[in-house]
Amino acid sequence: MNAVAATARRPWVRIVFAAVVAVVLIVAPLALPAFANQTLVRIGVYAVAVLGLNIVMGYTGQVNLGQIFFVGLGAYVTAYGVNHGWNILLVFAAACAVAGVVGLLVALAAARLGGLAIAMVTIALPIVGVPLAKRLSEFTGGSQGISARFTDAPDWSGLDNDQWQFYIVLLVAAAAFLLARSLVRGKYGRAFAAVRENEAVAASMGISPYRTKVLAFTIASIFGGASGFLYLAAVQYTSPETLSFGHSISLLAAMVIGGAGSIAGSLLGGAYYVFVPQLTNAIDPNLTTISQGAILLAVLFLLPGGLVSLPRVVRRLARRTDAARGRSTGRSTAAPPAQTSEQNAPAHHPVPDSALDGHEQTERQDGP
Amino acid sequence: MGTFIQLVVDGLATGSIYAALALAIVLVNQATGLINFAQGGMAVLSAYIAYVFVQLGLPLILAIIIAIVLSFLFGALVERFLIRRFERGDPDTAVVVTIGLLTLVTGICAVLWGYNNLGFPSLFPLTSVEILGAVVSVRSLATAVTIVVIMVVLQLLFLRTKLGLALRAVADNPASAAFSGLPVGRLLMVGWGLAATLGAIAGVLVAPQLTLTPGMLDTALVYALAAVILGGLTSPIGCVVAASAIGVLENLVAVYVPLIGHDLKIAVPFALIFVILIVRPQGLFGRKVVVRV
Repeated sequence: MNAVAATARRPWVRIVFAAVVAVVLIVAPLALPAFANQTLVRIGVYAVAVLGLNIVMGYTGQVNLGQIFFVGLGAYVTAYGVNHGWNILLVFAAACAVAGVVGLLVALAAARLGGLAIAMVTIALPIVGVPLAKRLSEFTGGSQGISARFTDAPDWSGLDNDQWQFYIVLLVAAAAFLLARSLVRGKYGRAFAAVRENEAVAASMGISPYRTKVLAFTIASIFGGASGFLYLAAVQYTSPETLSFGHSISLLAAMVIGGAGSIAGSLLGGAYYVFVPQLTNAIDPNLTTISQGAILLAVLFLLPGGLVSLPRVVRRLARRTDAARGRSTGRSTAAPPAQTSEQNAPAHHPVPDSALDGHEQTERQDGP
Repeated sequence: MGTFIQLVVDGLATGSIYAALALAIVLVNQATGLINFAQGGMAVLSAYIAYVFVQLGLPLILAIIIAIVLSFLFGALVERFLIRRFERGDPDTAVVVTIGLLTLVTGICAVLWGYNNLGFPSLFPLTSVEILGAVVSVRSLATAVTIVVIMVVLQLLFLRTKLGLALRAVADNPASAAFSGLPVGRLLMVGWGLAATLGAIAGVLVAPQLTLTPGMLDTALVYALAAVILGGLTSPIGCVVAASAIGVLENLVAVYVPLIGHDLKIAVPFALIFVILIVRPQGLFGRKVVVRV
């Protein structure tokens, strides 16, 4: 297993791997049935929203319960622009910009209080957003919602609509993921991590916690707006229901279940957001909420790093059993040091690793 | 003038519901330093439990008392088996846990009772009385008075009893409380139980008006959080004042400012929050917390 991990770390292996993934993603929609394409498109849509949430919550540690508001805002701006005959690039820019500006204004006020205040303020966004969307009916079409078709495949392409939509979502989502990856690995990503770990320490290193939080929240809102654009590209319709409170909670659950503080986890979160409700709805619609709560709590208890940390946890367990077997048979092969196979792993979790083993947390004699 | 008084009394009644939830949130925050987003969801569960006992033929008041006792136990068990594991860890994770709990509890209500609105009998008569020439509903008055009485009882519990002293000691400094021999874990369970009790009372008082649905108190939770922000997390009195003010203000605005109206009145407390956060970030009554590394 170590040899595999070592090979996977080589640069050329990763380039080849990335190229293979890219080719598969480009060829796949031509071969897959329309339903599969539509499902993949929706995963892409929500993966971008979860990715934005991850930047503010997973990487910067600010609980945001209002991400769906920005998705809805982006969708409404897109519908408005398309129906007024704007250029599609302008529509995309407007969807991102409007969401970003609103996010900036919200963050400027919310980030003034301590960490949890952002959660307490942002929970209001979807709850205020739904009646607001109903009220502004000349922009939003009121409770009926608004539809806009702009993603029918052009004739020259010779593609079906679902394939064309797939490529649009793939293009934007791939760009979003690459941008987010660079962001969290660079200077700002380190600032985000510093603010999450300890605001006082961050401030002492010359990183303003307030500005960093506002920046992270604004970027998350821009990703939300982009996700709203993609939502309209895929669904071609939006209504106040799009930005309901329940969806906002689901988005947060998807982020935590996929893996907080992980780019790949955002993609898993998008997949969770699409697949699991589809599955539970097929069994019994009343089960959707309870299954989400149960899965979220189970992940928090058993797998605090989210689904993305599953391979790592499995490897660790395997190592432990190996070591135990080694001891029992008297061989001296010690377990390899913990870091060797943790390539590419996010260095921090919003969840303390000790929660994984979680014995000491149950006793409370230690002071704060 | 008559409308005005009616609006103020109705506002005080809804405000007292927000106040009860807000107090429950402050109680939990003081004890364990986290915000329980499931407080509203747990209160809805309590109201459903009371509903079940009413359906079984018990008198309403008895059903409510049973629901309150069960809520206390439920709150204590949640603290022991769910929250405790995350209490001294990362507060953000603990918040996500309470959101998971909210989803779970809402889901349980949905599975057991469905999403259809269920009628809940009112504890108070639906008649009105005339005060100063204004027609005021007895239900609104009685709701407000009930919550005020409960707050006084709670205040006495905290200030005049040994249990209250122990609870305050744990909230103030869990480590020192443990060193002086207090059963910290059990006291935290009591704190969560009391918070759940407060929520349960708010739930059964507001259920006749809103009718029972799994998401009945989602909006009320948002109001309560607004009250907590405005009043400051460290000040129970501030929260009660803020909650009442929000209840009255949103009622007045809904009627007298047509631009906002009934559908957008929930935006009122948040517009207020934005202004206050810019001017006075620690809340109206809160103390500034100095964080030490």
